[in-house]
Amino acid sequence: MKYIEKLHEIVGKNRVSTSSPELYCYSCDASQIKGMPDYVVRPDSTEQVSKIVQFANKHKIPVTSRGAGTGLAGGAVPISGGIVLDLSSMNRILDVDIENLQVAVEPGVVHAKLNEKLKYHGFFFPPDPGSSAMCTIGGLIANNGSGMRSVKYGTSSRYALDLEVVMADGTVINTGSKTLKTVAGYNLTGLMVGSEGTLGIITKAVLKVAPLPKARTVILASFENPELAGEGVVKTLSSGIVPSACEILDKTAIEALNAFDPNLNLPDVGAILMFEVDGTGGAVEEGAKLIESSCSSLATNVKSASTKQESEELWRARRLVGAAISRLDPNRTRVYVGEDVGVPIKEIPKMLKKVREISEEFNIPIMTYGHIGDGNLHTGMAIDVLDDSQWDSLNKAGDKIHRTAIELGGTVSAEHGIGGARSKYMELELGPALDVMLNIKNALDPNNILNPGKLGV
Amino acid sequence: MTESEDKSDSYLRSILKCVRCGTCRSVCPVFDELGWESSGARGRMLIAHALSQGMDVDSDVLNSLNTCTTCGLCEQNCPSGAKPPDVIEDTRRQLVLKNKMTDKQAELRENVTKYGNPLAETSDRYSWLGQESADIKSHAEYVFFVGCLESYRYPEVAKTTFDILKKFDVTLLPNEHCCGSPLIRTGFEADDVTEENVEQIRKIGAHTVITGCAGCYTTFKNDYPDEFNVKHVSEFLADHIDELDLNPLDITVTYHDPCHIGRKHGIYEAPRKVIKAICNLKEMNSIRESARCCGGGGGVLSGYPELSHSIAETRMAEVPEGVDYVVTSCPMCRRNLSRGNKNIPVIDLVELVALAIK
Repeated sequence: MKYIEKLHEIVGKNRVSTSSPELYCYSCDASQIKGMPDYVVRPDSTEQVSKIVQFANKHKIPVTSRGAGTGLAGGAVPISGGIVLDLSSMNRILDVDIENLQVAVEPGVVHAKLNEKLKYHGFFFPPDPGSSAMCTIGGLIANNGSGMRSVKYGTSSRYALDLEVVMADGTVINTGSKTLKTVAGYNLTGLMVGSEGTLGIITKAVLKVAPLPKARTVILASFENPELAGEGVVKTLSSGIVPSACEILDKTAIEALNAFDPNLNLPDVGAILMFEVDGTGGAVEEGAKLIESSCSSLATNVKSASTKQESEELWRARRLVGAAISRLDPNRTRVYVGEDVGVPIKEIPKMLKKVREISEEFNIPIMTYGHIGDGNLHTGMAIDVLDDSQWDSLNKAGDKIHRTAIELGGTVSAEHGIGGARSKYMELELGPALDVMLNIKNALDPNNILNPGKLGV
Repeated sequence: MTESEDKSDSYLRSILKCVRCGTCRSVCPVFDELGWESSGARGRMLIAHALSQGMDVDSDVLNSLNTCTTCGLCEQNCPSGAKPPDVIEDTRRQLVLKNKMTDKQAELRENVTKYGNPLAETSDRYSWLGQESADIKSHAEYVFFVGCLESYRYPEVAKTTFDILKKFDVTLLPNEHCCGSPLIRTGFEADDVTEENVEQIRKIGAHTVITGCAGCYTTFKNDYPDEFNVKHVSEFLADHIDELDLNPLDITVTYHDPCHIGRKHGIYEAPRKVIKAICNLKEMNSIRESARCCGGGGGVLSGYPELSHSIAETRMAEVPEGVDYVVTSCPMCRRNLSRGNKNIPVIDLVELVALAIK
């Protein structure tokens, strides 16, 4: 039987495509990694995923799972061809079990839709990526995504209680438990979270949820330059405050946001720190005051958002700043390279200074923004994509940003993923730990069919 | 750089403005129904790029490009400032120049060329006018451009509109042709029909063209010479609300914003002002710049009627409880929304006004 016939048999003809334009649409995500699949399959159930993987394993066909394809590192790009499993139509919220503080979802559920549903119950799933409106929970977990509220609420791994995973031979396992804690066996849930589809395919997730805070407020602190803002972060966090978000926007990011939504009217300064504090009304008020006093000696101005609507508008815009840089010049487009480094908090000012030096060295404007509260710095470069020399500068600058982060004891990716874009830095960052990863990969996926060529394995 | 190289660079840049972030996945009404990447704005931008690099044109390429309703929700939400509807229309145009088109596109072109309307109607466009043809004046300040759908599918709306408008020195074109919208949206040149209309407007000496169709409106605004003002009927009615002698009605309606007057041209207030002068307005879930598409535009209603029907059903599911009518300001939206839910009457704003005048 031909491969295509088998795939038709498993999922039905209307859920398989081999059409050239369709394959092309699945050959990339938002990164510069490209790879053409041979088949795109849109399964509808765990059983179908299992049968596909079993079949692929038998014939050694690569299988790359994909949610919304919003990744910035090529994690969902089929660089060795084979099957792309588009899991976005497995998008049912299976159970909202508030009494057990958890929710069960299929991997294709869109992040914002989950939180829309949970809001009705007074709860939320705290990881909060900028791509909330379109990214899927499966992709978020597979990359251990986090986002703007991670400084207080942490990453996806903190919320995954149990994952249903299709292993490379088609076996379906559950990695955890419905309980909020378990020490039974190796932490397979932790192993699967962030494994980028290289060890198994997540077909269901039981996630812990948190109560929505009673109050939230945003505090904006203006600084003359990003380095001073970085010092403001260190000072604020070391004073014992745990904000629910702590974001940095440099001058270019501020301009991009004002271009995207002129009503925001952000101040024209060298850098802004956007803090958010949440909790009870009293705690929020106290937190805001503490942040204000921590920043006052370094900032030129500190002010709180006056209304809930103003806070919401600021966050909505902040989510989109990464792409909004493209609006500043009609001939330039944002390219995601070297965009997600993380450094120890104390090294933030140094990293910001290094980024400025790299920008000057390669004569390429670099915008800085990101979840600075947990040392996660996003750098944004926008180039004329029809100019080869700008591509060259961009790639060199990206490479240097990655290496600088590692030199400062940091990481090449704090949340976006390694994928195909950052695999080459794994040995440098992980050292002998990479060998352990390779051993795990070989044990669980001996035929190397699951998302081959990613994560350095 | 030659002019054609410059044009080609600018086209390529307009495609590459897309950073493939996928934000459009969350709003594209077609992607919502079909779920394949090629059925959303990001996929179409990728396909446009692949075509520019020499990818062969097959039926899947044509289906991807031609299932776009050009509703503009993607553009409205695009953080990087890409304009997928423009890229898609440009790409359709380039393919048509190479004679690559669907059978439906070819049929549409033939109909407009042969009959002056996309519906292949051979009857008199103004048959609704009856005895009142004497009301057509050779000179007037305003021209009421009726449009094909109102002329042939909703003649009672055409008649009611003209009855209301004619006291304001409004006339009709003696020989109205299709405005060109169906051609332009699907990639064809429409100079022949637009010139026919323009010549007549010039002769009448009108300073303003009024139309009740969102498709005609956006075409007059964007694709006609900038020689006269263009007003949508809803704007004209809102401007003259005190002169209409409206009696309030004890009913509740909701309003569907047509994409091509709403998102495209910012006409949100005028229809609402007219509605609120007559009855209660209970808004739909998504409104104004975020309003979901009816599914009929961009040639999708004629080319992909089932898809168009599904999108209309989704939109009609947003109608709030307890409304007597869904009101809209475009015959295409009205037609498609009526298909989306037969239990809730969909009427034109002008019909609501007529109810209040009686």
